[in-house]
Parts: sequence; C-alpha cells; structure tokens
Amino acid sequence: MKKVLILLFIITSLMIFSTTTIRVISSDDFAAFRQEAIKRFEELYPDIKVELLSVGYNQLYQKIITTLAVDPSAFDVIDVDCIWTPEFATLGLLEPVDNRLTEDMKNNILESAMNIMRYNGKTYGLPMFNDVLFFYYNEDLLKKAGIRRPPATWDEFVAFSKILQDKGLVKYGSVWGWAQAEGLICYYTLLLGSFGGQYFDENENPVFNTGGGLKALEWMVDSIYNYKVVDPSSINSDDRAMLHAIANGDAAFGFNWSFAWQIFNDPDQSSQVDKIKVALVPTGVPGIVSNTSSGSMGLAITKGSKNKEAAWKFISFLASREEQRRQSIEYGAMPIWEDLYNDKEILTHHPEFSEMVNQLYYVTDRPSLVKYQEFSRILQIYIQKALTRQMTPKEALDKAAEEVNKLLGK
Amino acid sequence: MRKTNYFHLLMIIPATVVLLLTLFYPIVNTIIISFFDKKLFYPSFSTFVGLSNYKEILSNEEFWSAFKITIYFTIVSVFLEFVIGLFTAILLNQNFKLRGFLRTLVILPWAIPTVVNGVLWQWIFDSNYGSLNGLLYQLGLIHNYVNWLGKPFMALNMVIIADVWKNCWFFTIVLLGALQTIPKNYYDAAKVDGAGFWNRLFNVTLPLLRPAIVVSLVLRTSEAFKVFDIIYIMTKGGPANGTQVLSYYVYHTSFEAMQLGKGAALSTIIAIIILLIALVYIKSLMREEVEINA
Repeated sequence: MKKVLILLFIITSLMIFSTTTIRVISSDDFAAFRQEAIKRFEELYPDIKVELLSVGYNQLYQKIITTLAVDPSAFDVIDVDCIWTPEFATLGLLEPVDNRLTEDMKNNILESAMNIMRYNGKTYGLPMFNDVLFFYYNEDLLKKAGIRRPPATWDEFVAFSKILQDKGLVKYGSVWGWAQAEGLICYYTLLLGSFGGQYFDENENPVFNTGGGLKALEWMVDSIYNYKVVDPSSINSDDRAMLHAIANGDAAFGFNWSFAWQIFNDPDQSSQVDKIKVALVPTGVPGIVSNTSSGSMGLAITKGSKNKEAAWKFISFLASREEQRRQSIEYGAMPIWEDLYNDKEILTHHPEFSEMVNQLYYVTDRPSLVKYQEFSRILQIYIQKALTRQMTPKEALDKAAEEVNKLLGK
Repeated sequence: MRKTNYFHLLMIIPATVVLLLTLFYPIVNTIIISFFDKKLFYPSFSTFVGLSNYKEILSNEEFWSAFKITIYFTIVSVFLEFVIGLFTAILLNQNFKLRGFLRTLVILPWAIPTVVNGVLWQWIFDSNYGSLNGLLYQLGLIHNYVNWLGKPFMALNMVIIADVWKNCWFFTIVLLGALQTIPKNYYDAAKVDGAGFWNRLFNVTLPLLRPAIVVSLVLRTSEAFKVFDIIYIMTKGGPANGTQVLSYYVYHTSFEAMQLGKGAALSTIIAIIILLIALVYIKSLMREEVEINA
C-alpha cells in the first residue's frame, strides 16, 4: 500500500513538473481571439500552459520595458509593434528565430509582413497580422445623402462631408484619433504619404517640414478650423475612443485598424452593423492613388525566456494557416500568408476583404529608428501645438525637425 | 545597581526597519541616482555626471512649462477647494434638519477613487456625448457643443474643476471637526458686541481655525503639487502638453523615456519645492498663541 502511494506521488509530481507555463504579454486588440486560440493550443499541447496578459496598446511598450528590465525572464513571448523592433533588438531583448523558420514560412509569408520583425539582417519573431489603417465609410449615410461612391481625393472627402453635414445626417463628416499618442503619428503618416511627403531624405535629414509633410499638417488644421468637417474632439480622442462615433453613426468617415471592423459589426458595440464598408484611403495629389500607414505587430521570444521551445510552438501555432484563417473570418484581421488572400472561405465570410487587400499596396511605414519613441514624442507634441493653434503648421514642423536633428545627433 | 532593560529598544526595531526600508532607502537612493546618467536598460551605463541632470532640467523649456502649469493648478485648485470647503463647513455646522444626512453625503465624492473621478468627469466633459454640453445646450447657454478637453488652457481648468469637486470636501470635513470645538459663547459675545457674519468669520472663526487650516492647507497643497492620477486618466498631459504637470513629466522621463537619472533629479527638485511650500505655510500661519480681537 505504501509503495503504491509513493509511486502515485512520484507520478503526479512528475506530471505537475512536466507542464511548462509560458507567459505572454500582448495588446488587447485581438485579445478575444487569442483567448480562444490558447484553449485550442493547450488541447494540442497538454504539457504547455499559456498565461496571457492583455494590456491596452498605449501601456504595452512601457509594461514590456519596465518588466523585462527587472526580470528578463518575466515574459516568454512579447507582442512587438513594428516601430519597436529596432529598439528591442538593439537592447538585446529579443531572441533571433532565423534558424527556427521553416521553408514554408520563408517562402509563403508575405515579405512586407515579415519585414516588421527584421532588423540588421536578423529575424526576431513572426508577424501576427498584416495591419494598416483602413478607410471605413458608412454606406447607408452616403446613400441617404445621395452620394453614390466613397471619396477618392481629400477634396472630395471635404465636399462629401459638407453635404452630409448640410443634410443634417451627421454633425461632422469624420472623426480621427489625433490625441497626443502613437496613433497620431500613424494618421500623420497616412496623410504625409498621400500628399507625396517623406520623413527623411536619402541623407537621413528630416524633410517632413516641407512638401507633403507640411501639406498634411496644414490639411489637418484646415479640416478642423476652416472646412469644419472634422470633429474637434479628434484632438483629444485616441484611435480607440474615436470608434464610438463611427459605431454610433455620428460620423460617416473614419480611419482605423482592421480590428475595428469587428467592433463596427458587433451589435453590442455598434448601431451600424453591416452598414460600414471599406474603400481606398483618399489621395491628396495626382499621381498617388492612395496611401496609408502600417501598424502590424508580431510575437517574439524574449532573450531571457527559459521556455524558448514552448514559446516558439505557441508563436508558430498562432501564425499557422489554420489560426490565421480563423483570425480573418471571425475577427477581420489580414492574414500573413500570401495564399490565404485567395482563400474562398475567407472571401465569402468577409466580403470587405477584397477591398482591404488593395490598400496593402499603398503603404508608408513610420521611420525605423532605434530612438523611435523619442522621435515620435517630439512629433506628437508639435503636431498638437499646430492642431491647438499655438503654432502654425510650418512653425511647428520646423521646430520638430530641429529637435529631431538634435536627437539624432546632427 | 539597576539592571538596564533593553526591551523597549527591541520593541521599536520592527518599526525602525520598516521606516528605513520604505522611506529612508528610497529617498536616499533617489538622490544618489539623480547624480548619475542611468538608463533603465543599460545597467552598465551608469556614469556619475554630478549636477548635469539638474542643469539640463533647469534649462529645459518643457520643465518650466510643466512648472508653471503645476503652480497654476495648485493655486487655483487649493484656493477654490479651501473657500468652498470653509463655507460648506460653516453651513453644516448650523442646526437644521437632515444635517447628519448631508454631512455623510459630502464625504462621498472625497471617498471616490481618483481614477473613477477622472473617468466620470471625462465623460461629463465629452464633447459629443457629455452631460455638461447636453445641459448647457438645453438651457440655451451654448449653441454649439464645446470640446472642453480640446484646448490646452481650457483642458487644464476643466481638470481643476474635476479635482475641486472631489477634494473640497476634505476641507469641509477637517474644518467642520475644528468648528465644533469652538465654544458657542464666543459667537454670542461677538453678537452682543454687534458683530455681523463677516466680522464674526474674520475675528472669531478664522483665528480659532488656524491650526486646522494650516494642517489641511499644507496637506492639500503638497498633494495638489504632486497631482498625477487625474491628469493621467483625463488628458494624459495633452493636448499639446497643456496639462503636463511636474509629476506627469517625471513619469514620462522615468518610465516612458526610461531616463532614471533625470527622473530622479526631477523628483528631488519637486520634493525640495514642496518642503519650501510647507515651511512658508508653517512660518506664516502657525503662531504660538491665538488671540481673539473681538
């Protein structure tokens, strides 16, 4: 009897100790999907447990940095935004995964998606979706105003907004997330590119204070104060808060990430289910069809992780075709696999998809800088100074360029 | 010969250890870090730089803007809170029905966590769905919805309103307690001498409340000077840094820009300023004896 008990004890303790727990921190954009996927993952690998910590995007960077500074093994898997890859890689937070990539991954994952996880010739993880800012418009409201198609240029955007406002269908044509946060830089990048601008010239000098970069900010200021077609609350809403107005039908146009599609079509959160469609982002100058800003994120293994094998299993599971297909059908994310863009099942469940795919061809990336966080903050503050009319757009961007030069040691 | 008993020393060891660990060590460590160039992610990169963190901060535009905003926030919010608190305390010290109920009621806003208060007022001030716009519009006082948190100076004042609504009751509670200790016959005597309300307020009530006023003012001023949570919830320092107070700037420097040395220097500067404020208050308001000029 005693022997049996001892044996039982040994077996149970072995079972307990053979389960590995991996800790994952990720942005809450696709939290619901990831929760479900973790259940499927744990069924497939009963010896691995996953603890998921979802935090709001705006807290994510800080949470990762401060936690890993204290304990490098606190997380096994971290969610990395495309703009953080250079900094995280330089700080030595990420484990390169080049030798773990399969031939299938190397050949069939979209190059543009894979690039967000690359820095200095090394790959640091797998992208989880292929995200850009999409142009959402309320088809129902446009029809009521007698407008047959979404605007293709910013001039049309302003004109259509005015029609909608004059007919009393909306108070403001559009609402944006221009609050002092990273989202502001994404919106600015979208406009900068669509007016033909650039952040840096080939000698890495800032040029956003001239040409398209300047026109973009001038348009932002004018759209609030001169054309009066942008809700002034855009100045203090971020890219999450602005979703309410679109989902309530209080604004006809809005720009947001792919996860917004699911919110607009969720009856609990939206009164405009099935009314919101996707079109190409309007353009500011002839010769440019459209432009948007990329915002893809990926999962990476931390250098301090003690469970790198299990962590890689989890990352490659979420990146697998099957999970990527689910993420597209149920949550509206753009998959990372090139072949899934012809997947019939996805296209039937998610008709907007064919429109959304087109936008992926017209993308400007935010600059890839090790000091990106500081760069972004400088730009956020000066764009806000122009938006609150403490400075003219020209003054604000000149000052920002001057400080960026100082930051980059020029 | 009397045997020395060290038992009492033994008994204060736990408290001493706790104080040393939780107060002394962090404060001293902060001051030490403030002389180093220390970045969160480069532990090896901790070089002694003397006073250069301080020099850099004091010559920085962003610091002085945050300084001015903090001073404005502190003066306006503490002044309003004090005045409202004093008069509600006097009111609640009168005899009337429902007094007990109202006295309990005023504690409620003060007991609400600041985060909840911040979210509450953020929704009240919301430019599209907020009740403030709804109220003013229906009363015909405004013809267009106002974006209360969209302009730097206005946003600052709106945050002050939210802060005053929550914190003026602190003064009410403290001053009400003190008012109850003032003997009623002082007022009777003043009335006999023909003193009106204001006369009684300035010559009887305020001098006798002085100790309570000093304590509550010192506490609230240093708290207001360190304000962080309500800013973090309502505006995140925006728009255009218009509500970035010193504490928020410290937070940004230390935990967003990860410059621990500079953040520590900033914290030290703030601590010195608060100490000075407390000293000024205590010097000017605390007097040994209270005279009544009847």
